[in-house]
Amino acid sequence: MEPTTIPAEPTPAQAPRPQRAWRNRHFAARYAVIAVWAAMIAVYAGTEHGLFFHAGTFQTIFSSQQPLVFMTMALLCTICVGEFVDLSVPAVFGFAATVLPVLVVNHGWGVWPAALVAVIAAVAVGALNGFLVVVVGVNTIVVTLGMSTLLTGVALWMSDLNTISGLPTGFQAIANTDVGGLPISLYYGVVLTLGFGYLLAFTPLGRHMRFVGASREVSRLSGVRVNRIRFGSFVVAGLLSGVGAVIAVAALGSYNPTTSDSYLLPVFAATFLGTAIIEPGRFNPIGTFVGIYFLETGILGLQLLGLQAWVSDVFYGGVLVVAVTIATLLHRRAA
Amino acid sequence: MTDQQEGAAQPPPRLEVARLSKAFGPARVLRDVHLRVGPGELHGLVGQNGCGKSTLVKILTGVYSPDPGGHVAVDGRALSLPIHPVAQRAAGVCVVHQDLGLIDDRTVWENVRVGRYQAGKLTRKINRREERQAVEQVLARLGKTVDVNQRVGLLSTEDRAAVAIARAMQDHRPGTGLIIFDESTRGLTGEARSRFFDILRSLIDAGASVLLISHRLEEIVEVTHRVTVLRDGAVVETGLPTKELDEASLTKMMLGRHLVTRGRVESHATDDAIASVRELTVRSVKNLDIEIRGGEILGLTGVMGAGYREVAEAIGGASRADGGELTVRGRAIDLAKRRGCTEEFVDAGVAFVAERRLDEGLAAELSVSDNLTLPRVRRRGKPLRTGRAWQAAETAAMIAKLDIKPPHPGAPVGTLSGGNQQKVLLGKWLAGAPDLLVLCEPTQAVDVGARHDIIDAIREAARGGCAVVIASVDAADLAVLCDRVLVFSGGRVAAELTGDLDQDAIIHATFDAGTRKGVAC
Repeated sequence: MEPTTIPAEPTPAQAPRPQRAWRNRHFAARYAVIAVWAAMIAVYAGTEHGLFFHAGTFQTIFSSQQPLVFMTMALLCTICVGEFVDLSVPAVFGFAATVLPVLVVNHGWGVWPAALVAVIAAVAVGALNGFLVVVVGVNTIVVTLGMSTLLTGVALWMSDLNTISGLPTGFQAIANTDVGGLPISLYYGVVLTLGFGYLLAFTPLGRHMRFVGASREVSRLSGVRVNRIRFGSFVVAGLLSGVGAVIAVAALGSYNPTTSDSYLLPVFAATFLGTAIIEPGRFNPIGTFVGIYFLETGILGLQLLGLQAWVSDVFYGGVLVVAVTIATLLHRRAA
Repeated sequence: MTDQQEGAAQPPPRLEVARLSKAFGPARVLRDVHLRVGPGELHGLVGQNGCGKSTLVKILTGVYSPDPGGHVAVDGRALSLPIHPVAQRAAGVCVVHQDLGLIDDRTVWENVRVGRYQAGKLTRKINRREERQAVEQVLARLGKTVDVNQRVGLLSTEDRAAVAIARAMQDHRPGTGLIIFDESTRGLTGEARSRFFDILRSLIDAGASVLLISHRLEEIVEVTHRVTVLRDGAVVETGLPTKELDEASLTKMMLGRHLVTRGRVESHATDDAIASVRELTVRSVKNLDIEIRGGEILGLTGVMGAGYREVAEAIGGASRADGGELTVRGRAIDLAKRRGCTEEFVDAGVAFVAERRLDEGLAAELSVSDNLTLPRVRRRGKPLRTGRAWQAAETAAMIAKLDIKPPHPGAPVGTLSGGNQQKVLLGKWLAGAPDLLVLCEPTQAVDVGARHDIIDAIREAARGGCAVVIASVDAADLAVLCDRVLVFSGGRVAAELTGDLDQDAIIHATFDAGTRKGVAC
């Protein structure tokens, strides 16, 4: 038992530590949903005898989702900085989308001033949410759930439960101008998504947002203006909802405020499905964008098969649970 | 004691581990580990971070299943592998985990009793009074008086450790069983630690066995009977009587090499005061003035609640003071101003290395590089571009300087070992070349190798002219690093030690100040 002699024993070379390639680690997890998307298209193509592979189908899928893109990006703004979860996004959207036609049709405003007021109203609601959550410190879910119900009610009162139509036809051009066979509103969504993705990945502000989302205390002690970023996220969420609403109203030429609620599940389904794409386990704009079109492809295909409207609920809900479960399992195994 | 047992009729060992191996994919984290703990023995288990200590504990508690061929027996009865938690509890094996596993916003009694609540037969309602009494009894056995209705998050580090120990030991039957303490003493300061070891000794005297895992080699040498050393997943030596050992020989076994003992080095303090604190008032501290010179390393210490920690947090910008002003290179910062973040401090060249690295220092899910560069990403980047080159350069420089492993800038911080996380946290602030570096417990729960790298890095910063403030209970760290140590007691500076510091003098001053204050009050 001479301790001093023991370390002299030669030990075999140090066990080689496995060099993990962090970048490729989650390859399967990253692209699982995209693979399922491709498989889904293949199945539809096989079962529907060319009905699915029709130019009109793709046009429908890619031209109809602009409202969802803006709403999911609005939701991502606050989720990225750690606010779980802003339930008021569809209601703010619906509120702005009601204010615009009501002012134009019922009150004789010009369409541009009305659009501006609609956007300002949405921003103001976002700022109010932000004030209550960040400054006063009320729970996000409670504030936004209340705000959501309140705004939906106000919108129904303003519109008298009617669909408001009769916007000047020229206004439609901002959404429906044909670019390469698809409406320009699709490209707004693409630009917004890429811009948001760039912001998060490559700018100091995006880095700060990620850290605020990961840990407020770490961010605060690193000199990041935590509350300013959280408040700003709510304001920008309002802005995106408002701008999205103006474009959506332009595309439709009218708005029915009773439809606002129907956006809630798709917004959340796509946003959470986005965590299973590109960056597994993390909310990300590009994954969310893919998620939106994934969901729409699935639903449209099922509807072409002759299934009724209920299929969208089943699909949105089911895909969300299954996709996120798979992504979680893949993520865990890879880690 | 062990000699007698070996000579006698050989009672079966309390714990016998043989041929235990564990691989995660290609990484073999445990290789043919064997270990024996006798009845009534206090057995130490040491090794660097990542040597497999935690994995061994996780196998013994059934979190991981070992590779086939291993053998684990308690009191001569083999346990089937993987170990089922029920079988583990029945065999009398319990664990106090490294991170304590406490739920901060629940009360003490709820934390202790979780998983064991006795519900009323009809109402299924938890009988709160009985639960509380049971918890009070366990705490009394530990010699602790903690308000069982207090929320755990509000407790001191010492009391939190006691709560976790109480939870592990509540089912313990005197005279049997094995209690594994996995770094349970790290939040405990001098007095509390000696009370903790008194508890251990009383358990041992009553016939229980203890497996003590600790980074503090001096406590292993001092309190354990025998020790087992792990290195790279393999047993270097097991059952060594600690009587014949000292810290240096343990270190040598752990590292497989002689470590040059980091003694004190020449002071690099210059004559010009880089930072000064005027009239600082925070909690019990009133109107404190401190001057810190360039290159000087100033230690702040004391017993828990003495105020030294609050001073460091106020200077670093982590918490608001009630009054006072900090001046760094002529730039004044009002310490009493309400702020949303430490931006003003960072801009003034103040760096604050927080104590709880994963709550206050680093975001575990984000990468080493992102964490390292965070404080500078706004100033060094352009509004539309963080810029890759400077981030890569900073990260590479810190990985090399602090020997961060694995050396992947893209690895999420949460996948690193504790010592390496601490290095990333230090690197995050050193990379900004601060004028004033404030550190809280910079070597807490890191292994010997990491501690030396960290000490070297702090010294190098001082050599570069940075003023350094270290708030720590670790007298050994303060003794080798500091040019000057302020010992706090009840909010006042009770002693100022300068010149050739030694560990014992610091400990002496700390507790002397503490007791004098106790008598005076």
